[in-house]
Amino acid sequence: MIEPHHEPPPPLMGTWPKLYAAVLGALLLCIILLRLFSRMFS
Amino acid sequence: MSRLDWIVLGASLLFVVLWGLHKGRGAKTGESYIGGGRDHQWWLVGLSIIATQTSAITFLSTPGQAYVDGMRFVQFYFGLPLAAVVLSITAIPLFHRLKASTAYEILEQRFDLKTRLLAAILFLIQRGLAVGLTIYAPALVLSVLLGWNLHANILLVGILVMIYTVTGGTKAVAWAHSSQMVIVSLGMILAGVMTAHRLPDHVSLGDALHVAGGLGRLNAIDTSFDPNNRYNLWSGLIGGFFLMLSYFGTDQSQVQRYLAGSSVTQSRLGLLLNGLIKVPMQFLILLLGALVFVFYQFHTPPVFFNPGPVKQVMAGPDAAAYRNLEAEFAQAREQQSAKAEAYVLTRHGTDATAIAAAKADLQQAHAQSEALRGQAVKLIQKANPGTNPSDTNYIFLTYVLSSLPAGLIGLVLAAVFSGSMSSMSGEISALGATTVVDLWRRLRGGDPHREVWVNRLATFAWGCFAMAFAEYAARLGSLIEAVNILGSLFYGTILGIFLVAFYVKRVRGGNAFWAALVAEVVVLLCFAFTPISFLWYNAIGCILVVLFALLFQALAPALPDAEVPVPTT
Repeated sequence: MIEPHHEPPPPLMGTWPKLYAAVLGALLLCIILLRLFSRMFS
Repeated sequence: MSRLDWIVLGASLLFVVLWGLHKGRGAKTGESYIGGGRDHQWWLVGLSIIATQTSAITFLSTPGQAYVDGMRFVQFYFGLPLAAVVLSITAIPLFHRLKASTAYEILEQRFDLKTRLLAAILFLIQRGLAVGLTIYAPALVLSVLLGWNLHANILLVGILVMIYTVTGGTKAVAWAHSSQMVIVSLGMILAGVMTAHRLPDHVSLGDALHVAGGLGRLNAIDTSFDPNNRYNLWSGLIGGFFLMLSYFGTDQSQVQRYLAGSSVTQSRLGLLLNGLIKVPMQFLILLLGALVFVFYQFHTPPVFFNPGPVKQVMAGPDAAAYRNLEAEFAQAREQQSAKAEAYVLTRHGTDATAIAAAKADLQQAHAQSEALRGQAVKLIQKANPGTNPSDTNYIFLTYVLSSLPAGLIGLVLAAVFSGSMSSMSGEISALGATTVVDLWRRLRGGDPHREVWVNRLATFAWGCFAMAFAEYAARLGSLIEAVNILGSLFYGTILGIFLVAFYVKRVRGGNAFWAALVAEVVVLLCFAFTPISFLWYNAIGCILVVLFALLFQALAPALPDAEVPVPTT
């Protein structure tokens, strides 16, 4: 991770790496939910 | 269309234009015109990014895609959150630190003028052609289904967009985007709610989803790995990642949106907002299409949703055969409706064997009616071999016009127009900015006092070009599909140049330039001679640029070094 030192933290999650992890986690959650959704109604 | 629909449509479009004009006042210099004053908050950046990406055809085509092919199209967007994170870490801080107005400026600092010009010109070519189709495709659908004049439709959208885009620049575009997204969201949500409401009384939302799923319309995830399969998990994650990385990192129509953020934080949050919202948003639009599909399980749809080619068949020697097919199709659909009813009622019981049997019956009935639809398409193509066999773009609007109440039709049409306008405004604004910053200012020296007017002139000229190309697009026929995938032919190469610029520090200007040219030729050869799905061109182009750049650097390391230090993140 390359992080500019002067950059203030994001208003959510405290640090940028945590916010990025949250976005990627949301993607993973979407994929899992979509998989379950497809299976549930197939 | 009722009077209420016209009022809703007219009022919505008038509001968008006046809102854009009002909020876009005050651009006195070229920098403030292009940069939007660089004072946008994250939510405005995010909405503007989403609106630029979301064209009218997204709303016309995506529900139709779910109707015809199911929901697997959603996988196309899986690369977006990944790209948003990568760009937030790397590109956004760099663009802000260099106070860049366009994405291509930094290429000259890293390499040389010719590499900057190559990337800028590739962008102008592909985006310049695509912007015409942005307004042509929905105008065509509206003209066919509503009988509106195609040329008047193109002119109307073009002129409305240019009023606020040419006048106010990036700030006007961003604020108009915010109002357009409100209209678009409202239209699609109400259409979805109304579609669920219009299902037969005894069919619950759960029943509807089981009918759609039983007929293969909820297949959102496909884990099989097949490079020739356009939409699966891997093409979405890998090919989609490269496409989105290129689109959001190197396409000025997007870069300009987040460079208007007041700080690195605001730009990052705006881009990440898009990464978070896009997949659920596309899922909901596809779900709307799946519900329309279920609606038509209980109502008879047309055999082919595009009435234009049907008229051509009816005027030819196969008219009688087509009429017979229509009658057979109506009969088959009646039987299919009965099977769908039976499946829903059986599902309300607990007999698993009976449910499986009812589902198999429904699937068989659906296969029969689809076979008849296939025969109809063959007749249509026989009457006019150049006809597009896909009627995907016409399905949703046909449903809206025939089944939604007055007022809501006007709102959905306003959403379609808003989609057209939002894409076109973002694109001509970016084309104008690139023309001025990377060509006029760089090659002619520029004049800060005149720059705002030169920007307006360039934006106006690109708007006129877009309308002229949209008029010409009607004559392109099947070439339109090629133009549609044009982005993927160039994006990979442009992304490769940027990746080499950011991360492969030993490669010098001339090598990156020639690597990009050779890679572009290989991508074009792949397009012409291989069946590889277009999403993969992004990855192929990008990887080839990096590999060729390294190879050329190894073969000719003595080329002069770049005079400006490599930008670091």
